[in-house]
Amino acid sequence: MITFTIDGRHVTAAKGETILNVARREGIYIPTMCYLSKTTPCASCRMCVVEAEGVEGFVLSCQTPPTEGLVVNTHSDLLQDERVNIMRMYDVNHPLECGVCDKSGECDLQNKTLEFGIDRQHFSARDQIRDIKEWGRIHYDPSLCILCEKCVHVCNEIIGDDAIEVQFGGYKSTIIPKNSEQLDCTFCGECIAVCPVGALVSSEFQYRANAWELSRIPATCAHCSSGCALEYEVKTSGAASAGEERIFRVSNNFEYTTLCGAGRFHFDFGADISEGSADISEAVQAIQACDAIRFSSLITNEEALILQQLKERLGIKLYNEEARHFQEFMHAYARKSGQLHYSATLEDIKQSDAIIMIGSRISTDNPGVRYAITEAARHNGAKVSYMHPLEDVLLHNTMTQFVKYEVGTEEGVIALLAQELLKNANVNTEDKAVLDQLDEGYLSAESNVGEEEIADMMASFLRSKKRTFIVGSDVISHEQRENIAKLVGLIDAYSDFKVMVVPKHVNTLGVSLICDLDAEAGGKSVGYNAQGDFIIASSGVRHMSVPALNQQEGTFVSINKQVLPTNVALGFSGHTLNDVASCLGLSQKETIDYTRQLPEGKGFQRIAFDTLENFYDPLGKDRRGYCLQSIATNEADSVLNDVEELPEFNGTVVYHCNPVLQFNSYTASGADEEERALIGSPQFAIAAKISDGDSVEMTLGQHVIRRYFRVDNTLKGTVALNPTFDLPLGAFDGQYRFEKVKIMKVGS
Amino acid sequence: MSKVYFSTWRGEAINNLDKPEDAWEESAYKLPQQYNEHAESKAFIGWDGVALFCKDVDVVRLATEYAAQYQVYSEACGRCAPGRWGGRILYDLLDKIARGEGTVADLEHLKEVSKSMQMTSKCEIGKTVPNPLLDLMEHFESDFMDCIDNQKASKHYNKEINYIAKITAPCTDACPAHVDIPGYIEGVRDLRFDDSLKATRQTMPLAHTCGRVCPHPCEDECRRANLDSPVSIMELKRLGADYETDHEFHFFHPAEKKPSIGKRVCVIGAGPAGLTTAYYLALEGIDVDVYEELPVLGGEVAVGVPEYRMPIDKYNKDIEAVKDLGVTFITNTRVSADMMRQFEKEYDAVMIAVGTRLSKKVRCENERPEIEGYWGAIEMLDQVNLWEKYGIGEKVDLTGKTVVCVGGGFTSMDVVRCSIRANAKKVIMIYRRDEKTIIRNTTYEEYHEAVEEGVEFIFHSAVSRMNDENDVLKSLDFDRFELVPDPDGGRPQLVKIEGGGFSKEVDFLIPAVSQSADLDLLPEEWELEMTSWATILTNGKDYMTSRQGIFAAGDCEYGPMTIVNAVGQAKRAASVISRYVQNGGKITLTDDEIMEDHLRKMKVYDKKEKVTGWLAGLPRQVSEKLHVDVRKDNNKEVNLGFTQEEALSEADRCMRCYYIAMVAH
Repeated sequence: MITFTIDGRHVTAAKGETILNVARREGIYIPTMCYLSKTTPCASCRMCVVEAEGVEGFVLSCQTPPTEGLVVNTHSDLLQDERVNIMRMYDVNHPLECGVCDKSGECDLQNKTLEFGIDRQHFSARDQIRDIKEWGRIHYDPSLCILCEKCVHVCNEIIGDDAIEVQFGGYKSTIIPKNSEQLDCTFCGECIAVCPVGALVSSEFQYRANAWELSRIPATCAHCSSGCALEYEVKTSGAASAGEERIFRVSNNFEYTTLCGAGRFHFDFGADISEGSADISEAVQAIQACDAIRFSSLITNEEALILQQLKERLGIKLYNEEARHFQEFMHAYARKSGQLHYSATLEDIKQSDAIIMIGSRISTDNPGVRYAITEAARHNGAKVSYMHPLEDVLLHNTMTQFVKYEVGTEEGVIALLAQELLKNANVNTEDKAVLDQLDEGYLSAESNVGEEEIADMMASFLRSKKRTFIVGSDVISHEQRENIAKLVGLIDAYSDFKVMVVPKHVNTLGVSLICDLDAEAGGKSVGYNAQGDFIIASSGVRHMSVPALNQQEGTFVSINKQVLPTNVALGFSGHTLNDVASCLGLSQKETIDYTRQLPEGKGFQRIAFDTLENFYDPLGKDRRGYCLQSIATNEADSVLNDVEELPEFNGTVVYHCNPVLQFNSYTASGADEEERALIGSPQFAIAAKISDGDSVEMTLGQHVIRRYFRVDNTLKGTVALNPTFDLPLGAFDGQYRFEKVKIMKVGS
Repeated sequence: MSKVYFSTWRGEAINNLDKPEDAWEESAYKLPQQYNEHAESKAFIGWDGVALFCKDVDVVRLATEYAAQYQVYSEACGRCAPGRWGGRILYDLLDKIARGEGTVADLEHLKEVSKSMQMTSKCEIGKTVPNPLLDLMEHFESDFMDCIDNQKASKHYNKEINYIAKITAPCTDACPAHVDIPGYIEGVRDLRFDDSLKATRQTMPLAHTCGRVCPHPCEDECRRANLDSPVSIMELKRLGADYETDHEFHFFHPAEKKPSIGKRVCVIGAGPAGLTTAYYLALEGIDVDVYEELPVLGGEVAVGVPEYRMPIDKYNKDIEAVKDLGVTFITNTRVSADMMRQFEKEYDAVMIAVGTRLSKKVRCENERPEIEGYWGAIEMLDQVNLWEKYGIGEKVDLTGKTVVCVGGGFTSMDVVRCSIRANAKKVIMIYRRDEKTIIRNTTYEEYHEAVEEGVEFIFHSAVSRMNDENDVLKSLDFDRFELVPDPDGGRPQLVKIEGGGFSKEVDFLIPAVSQSADLDLLPEEWELEMTSWATILTNGKDYMTSRQGIFAAGDCEYGPMTIVNAVGQAKRAASVISRYVQNGGKITLTDDEIMEDHLRKMKVYDKKEKVTGWLAGLPRQVSEKLHVDVRKDNNKEVNLGFTQEEALSEADRCMRCYYIAMVAH
């Protein structure tokens, strides 16, 4: 701890804190134009300079940690003069087009120009002609750009795309795509979010609305389990006319949080009541007559609880294979770890300096996890071992080791890892015996993961202090999920790795905690946001419409084991599940009345929905909802099983996996042919006797799917990527993600 | 001392405006008065002032061009608001005045913008560009006012004058390879490690190597030392190289390799100088064949520097980067004079980069190489490293042996620490001078680590005689010396203490006093000119020997020196050669290289300068070293390098001391 003084106030700084950090924490204002809390300082605007006693000249507060006893002054006439001059320079030749600029009303340049009283152009320089760039969803106007570099920092340090850079050239400096003419990135749009001026804007949003016409609805993203905070911006005033109430854009508190492109751009998934117009009485009858409700995890905790109570009341089955697998996984896991929940959060990943990621194509499965890994790689120099049967070029600059294992051998690979990670741990003798007696030769040979690779991994982790082990849905959906879960549970309990089990959907975790799920559906079924004989859903073919996740209140449990509220951004004039349930004898008036009833035994708290907060405080503390209580379990009766025969997947295999920005039918609208394509390596093309551009037909179980085929030279081997986002909700949802496929060319 | 008409350089105030030329007061600095053999300079202008060498200088245009050069060269920067806009405003206003359209208000604006740039710019280039401009506006106000009052162009506004500018920094200037150090450190600070590595590789292909075993002369001329302590420059170089290696990226070359231009160059020796020559020639599209006597590539860094200081897998990455450009390597081939005669005909140019691989004698009585137990440092390290790194030859096992090494430089440190690792019973370093000098000749870390590992240092001593029985070494006699201070303040004299000698029973005497070049490959009839210490003579600027088309660089030119020195020479030589083979055998230096040499002569670093605008007292980071018990019996790398956190803290200490200097001729 360092003690020093800012503006006469005695303050302390922790290791790593700068003068600016401390000032902000203390509520002392220092103006900045380029500072972004979540990245390293850009240090380009120079407005945050301060005076320090004994130091001649100014000190840059954003980049300088204080020294013991330092006396800092943040405001003086001299500082004010220079800050005014910097603003005068920023205003040189900045186009006077605030009237049509998207950023007007929320522009840092506008605000600071006003704050520093710059009412005319004091300096002048020869103007230059600069071409506007259209980069897909992103529109870049270099003449509005102030070269703060926030976009470049966020793209590299937080996202990991590293797709843009500053083209240095003094006054001519500009932002350009890195290493290519056209922007080649995952289109997260975070560069748009952090742009303090109107230089980087969303092509779709441009010229559509002014900031002051939009109402902001704080909510939680519905697309994956990261549970990112976002605000739906809805036009309700100004030029809005009747029926025009729509979401115009999504924004985020970019100072502290990050969104992927699906969250930012795929907000237009409100359910249209005209597409499923059955009367509520038909839905009630269908449920009364059914054996089971099939449902997906794209629902709130409250809806899950309603379904659970319907099960209890009506004696019907609840069928959600994907959540059931997660439930089974975590149940077996808890019996070894002694805790109901896994230990790690996204924040733990960000703090890590050693990461093992296995069983997920994480960059598209869960961008939130990817971004956390990127931060760890950049900010901590984390060593990242990415273990998967498929290369992922998006992780190239974050992973330090790629370990390619054979499809299906996850159990063997994790057993080898557990053996290594637990070799000096105090695990019980029976489990120790199982680990000691593993047939390493067989497991290595079948999985293709060598002793040397694991030794290299351990060598790279040698100096690390904070370690995280992440497992994804390939292992959760694996046939041997229970034994894998025990291995991972042991790693959580007995190694110095914290563990994260990545839930697949927005509320997989919540559903798995709230519902008793059945292994068989059988007989007649009602689908709730899933397939069934009678379908109640907010998207796709359906009999009756219910509100989508941006049309209702409720909560989700995120990957951080945090209960997060979401809110109504768009109106919905039809009925909800709660209306149906009321007809079937359930008693709560509003869906959110169930928030208080969520099961305490699973870590939920008896808190009313309306008292849940949903924001980040000005210093970046997450004040959304609440975290599940940790619950100790004491069912230590389970024994690790021997790892016996590992399955083999020969011939052509597909991996159910979505492209960037896509998750399910909520994100699918407007998807193009490229996104829907089957993607394979050149070897896959040869093995399947197809070539780039062909139309192909795949037979996968009962499904026959037609797709267009694309060769991706960054891939190797005979596994292709098959998207599922454009299939009906729930398709391939619970099953192991790799599948042998019969493939036929049907056109080119 | 330079003859000047006017100078404000480094705070001097020389104004000979009204004096006859023979009464001119001289500048105290070695200013670039003579630009090159063809041209005299008219003016020199830079970060710390301006000097005019004659009366006939258009100061208004000079100021304008300096501001323009800042614009042109600001691709090095353009990273902050005051520098980016301020620089442009300076230029626009100065040019407006120079072309005869300026106003008095423009002068005021110039001063205002200058002040903001000086107070708030990100790097020194933005902070210092206004300095000489303000000097000119102050001392030659009438010239500016003449343009304004009479709305006329400055006197040479339309005249053709050469303005040659160069970006430098004190550390870059001090580095023999002139590495863009602020550039690679900024890459670390911005977490853009690929950019960091590209900045290094512009002039230094061996990033892994010089991030580990460089004696870092740059740190002696780091401006941060004027404030607290120098930035740990050398170790920050590892970050970019490790990023490329850890993530298995394809090599980040500083530029794309040009297509083949059909010229061929032969390089003798695959050490740092040879590799560097090959790298930069290959980038220029020249086909390069490298001949190497040893079975392995890398020269002394491979077979001299031990694994615990320079892991071979890292060095091999640097070598791979050279191979990646299509350079051909021919190993196990000792080049003879006949081959040289052939090469001269076959190739467009030949580079000799054979280093210095002959161990010099300690000069004692009975010093006969045939005595068993007499072992040259080079031969000893060859055997150790060929076995430990490549499994070639035989393991060196010194179990139960007593080893005496005579030396005091890096090579002798390698010898004694390798002897410890080879399990010697006792290892003694004999050095004529004192502890302070041995630290100055190597590094504090190197000396300290050797002591930790159990090397016994005996100072103020020298071997006087080898005692053998039937040509087997049995013992050594030593003389003892004392340092007698020089009454005139010079280097203390070593004076032998009569009767102070002593003897020791030893098994090995390893001379590591110095090395000389093995130049048997030079055809006698070439009569290459040599230096007085038997290395190949060049002018130290273009590295061509006395024979047309035959170049030399590295230790065989300079004498045993550092890796970075070899790299710097070879980089320059490659640049000269690439033009030589294309323009009919003419030797030329680029303006950038001419300026580089001028600046080095002037020295960019100013030890006495007071640094402003930075908070003193941020501690220099020190990387973790492997504990002595864990390291002394094996080859594990001793220096673990910075953690990311340490590296970022250290990078934040860099003050980005870029400067711009310009000559008008």
